Amino acid sequence: MKPARLLDAASAHAVGFGWLRAALAPASPYGDDAFAQLEPFAPGAEHDARRRAERIARIAAALDDERIDAVRALLAQAPDAAPALARASMGEALDDAGLLEVQRFFDACVALDGLTSACTDLPRVAGDAVRTCAAALERGRAGKFGFYLEDAFDAALGRARAALAQAQAEYDAALGRTRAAAAHALGREISFPEFIVMREDLRGPLPSGVRVVREAATYVLCELDADDGVLAALKRREDAASEVARVEEAVRERLSSTLRAHAAALDEALRATGETDVLIAAARFVRQHRCVVAEYGADELSFEGGRFVPLELELAAQGRAFTPIDLRLDGIAVVTGPNMGGKSACLRACGFIAACAAFGLPVPAVRARVPVFSEIAWMGIGSDEDGGGGLLSSFAREIVRLRELLARSLPARLVLLDEFARTTTPSEGKALLVAVLERLRADGADALAATHLAGLAQAAGARHYAVRGLHGVAQRPAEEDLNAALERLAASMDYTLEEVTGERGRGSDAIALASLLGIDAAVIDAAYRALDSLE
Amino acid sequence: MQVRVGASLFDLWNRSGARSLFVVGIGKNVGKTVAMRAIYRACVEAGEICALTSIGRDGEAFDATDALAKPRLWLTPGTVVATAREALPRSPASEVLEVTSYRTAAGALVYARVRSGAHYELVGPPAASALRTVVHELAAHAPRVLVDGAVDRIAALAGGEDAVVVSCGASAAPTPGEVVDEVRALVARLQTPRLEEGSDALSIEGALTPAAVAQLVRARERRAIVVRDPTQIAITGKAALQAFERLTIRCLRPLRVVAVTIASIGRDRAFAPRSFAREVAQAVTLPVFDVYAAERAA
Repeated sequence: MKPARLLDAASAHAVGFGWLRAALAPASPYGDDAFAQLEPFAPGAEHDARRRAERIARIAAALDDERIDAVRALLAQAPDAAPALARASMGEALDDAGLLEVQRFFDACVALDGLTSACTDLPRVAGDAVRTCAAALERGRAGKFGFYLEDAFDAALGRARAALAQAQAEYDAALGRTRAAAAHALGREISFPEFIVMREDLRGPLPSGVRVVREAATYVLCELDADDGVLAALKRREDAASEVARVEEAVRERLSSTLRAHAAALDEALRATGETDVLIAAARFVRQHRCVVAEYGADELSFEGGRFVPLELELAAQGRAFTPIDLRLDGIAVVTGPNMGGKSACLRACGFIAACAAFGLPVPAVRARVPVFSEIAWMGIGSDEDGGGGLLSSFAREIVRLRELLARSLPARLVLLDEFARTTTPSEGKALLVAVLERLRADGADALAATHLAGLAQAAGARHYAVRGLHGVAQRPAEEDLNAALERLAASMDYTLEEVTGERGRGSDAIALASLLGIDAAVIDAAYRALDSLE
Repeated sequence: MQVRVGASLFDLWNRSGARSLFVVGIGKNVGKTVAMRAIYRACVEAGEICALTSIGRDGEAFDATDALAKPRLWLTPGTVVATAREALPRSPASEVLEVTSYRTAAGALVYARVRSGAHYELVGPPAASALRTVVHELAAHAPRVLVDGAVDRIAALAGGEDAVVVSCGASAAPTPGEVVDEVRALVARLQTPRLEEGSDALSIEGALTPAAVAQLVRARERRAIVVRDPTQIAITGKAALQAFERLTIRCLRPLRVVAVTIASIGRDRAFAPRSFAREVAQAVTLPVFDVYAAERAA
């Protein structure tokens, strides 16, 4: 799954693309290949994107969680037969491990079709070729999981193996006689080709059938000396072993040629298995995160009950709920509200939902209407996560990113500006931001800017959303414990986003927040006095 | 004393109660594979199904480092092996039980059952942790597991309930005395006793290193020094012997070392077999067998 031109590294990081990719990861190497090829749809391909999303939604509806987990477990356990099938298709006689891998793949195909039979949106993987080739390998099934070139594959195998067993027995007997005679003469066990005879134990010369390898002062290193009878038996055994090897190889060649004859269809089975794996992973994502198929339209990005799933899960782990977002973006808009009020989360939710839609995925919302964007660009806080910059200040880095963004004249762009130009003077920063928003509107982009700068929406002629913000915090004593402070903040914050007209809306509640996070009362009081005098 | 070495070692393995047995050596070409083959044959003669594997590579026809002939493993039907895919003989065919996800230098590790007698090369997983899992998985296919533990790779023994045979030989050092010191040190490490309950003890997290030992000796530590198991003692040779003399080293999970085998013939040198065997026997409190001479040291 490649972000390709849709997201650069910083934007991908900001909108949780890495998380999305991990959440959609397939379970098997078959799916890995298909998943690696996934690219976002381009503007104009809304119909195709919607069809894919609808297909995934139908799969998610047709299969319950248990069935989806069973499919993924099956795929995870299936060995990767693609290399073996590729070698067979190129004329190689597979080794027995390769034949086992192929047989297990065929078993997985049949089981997969069984598990997904209720869902017509998934491809059938065990077609005629799979069944024909599976039948050809079936005689090799050994025990519950194993594979062996059984005699049943070819009558010549049984004959050759019987001859080898006979020749082996004759050789063992001939060698055994030589060994037994030598052992008897020496009065000791001889188990190995080489053995030591202590000189002090020798009564006379070494017995026949024993040859000296090395002599030393106290011992003689010996080995058994094969006589003509042993050598003849060894020759017969080697001949018999060669015949077994020849027949076994002929069987492997025959089985591999059967696979080769169905190579195209088996390749399709591999592809279909990969496609199933990717679609099942997407259906799992849809079920886990309550996603819906978006309407695809070029006119606006809008959603009800939209969620930024990575943050939603993080909050859920702490026993907190994500406040769903309702938003309509048809041109440019501004989000204002207190610090820690969820402005950035709103921008990230926009980017996340737009990214899902661009890949033809259902989106985490109750209802959504989404264009297929050519680019989702993140500017401002978090846009230099890749560490670039060197001698540039944070403001200069933002400007360089802006210059590059404006230089790309792409249609259908979504630009998310998180406190852009926050590190320069408020008046110039605001002026710059107004100009940028006007330029983006003129270019036909959709843009959403989160800011603390007052009057920006009015100045830019933009739709204005505001977070409702804190209620009843300022008078409370500071919390010593940060976690407790964060919990109280969450309890005191209304994260609801609502559209407001004019410049109505709240301030940043920065001093109240500072108080809540433990700044001592003297500083807080002084801050409020300073605020009064400034206003 | 003339004995059936394989049968004697197999008997000691039986009496240890362990399902798996590791053969570890103090160096290369010290008769590990010969000892392993003797035990394996005794196991087969006793009618027991055995699974075999190794850490890294063993059983090949020629030494991978010096191209000299090596003892080979002739395995009989029913035996289970864990070896690299590329090392599995193409003929006679084996019953392939599993192509695992473990990687070796010669491809994926496979589990296979021998269906016709043949020479096999064992190429097991190179990592100790993977080997432990493999030993566990092989136990599902065979009641006994025999492991060629390679050169002093005792890390693979960590966390196991294995019996251990230590092999030493003339290839390991220029003189019998030096070989004896080496084997005495390795056996002392592997035989680290279990900590007695109620003992005053100092637990060591992780490995007991030479630096830690030196510090403890300087501090005249009188408490028992406790490691998780003997594989955590990361000191060898004379340093290990001195550590055991000066400190009371104990472990929580002792190993079951059952015997020592000797190979008096090395690649470049040979020791007088009986005197070498006697010296080793005097240095360790274990049965000592000369696998080439088919003798147990008096």
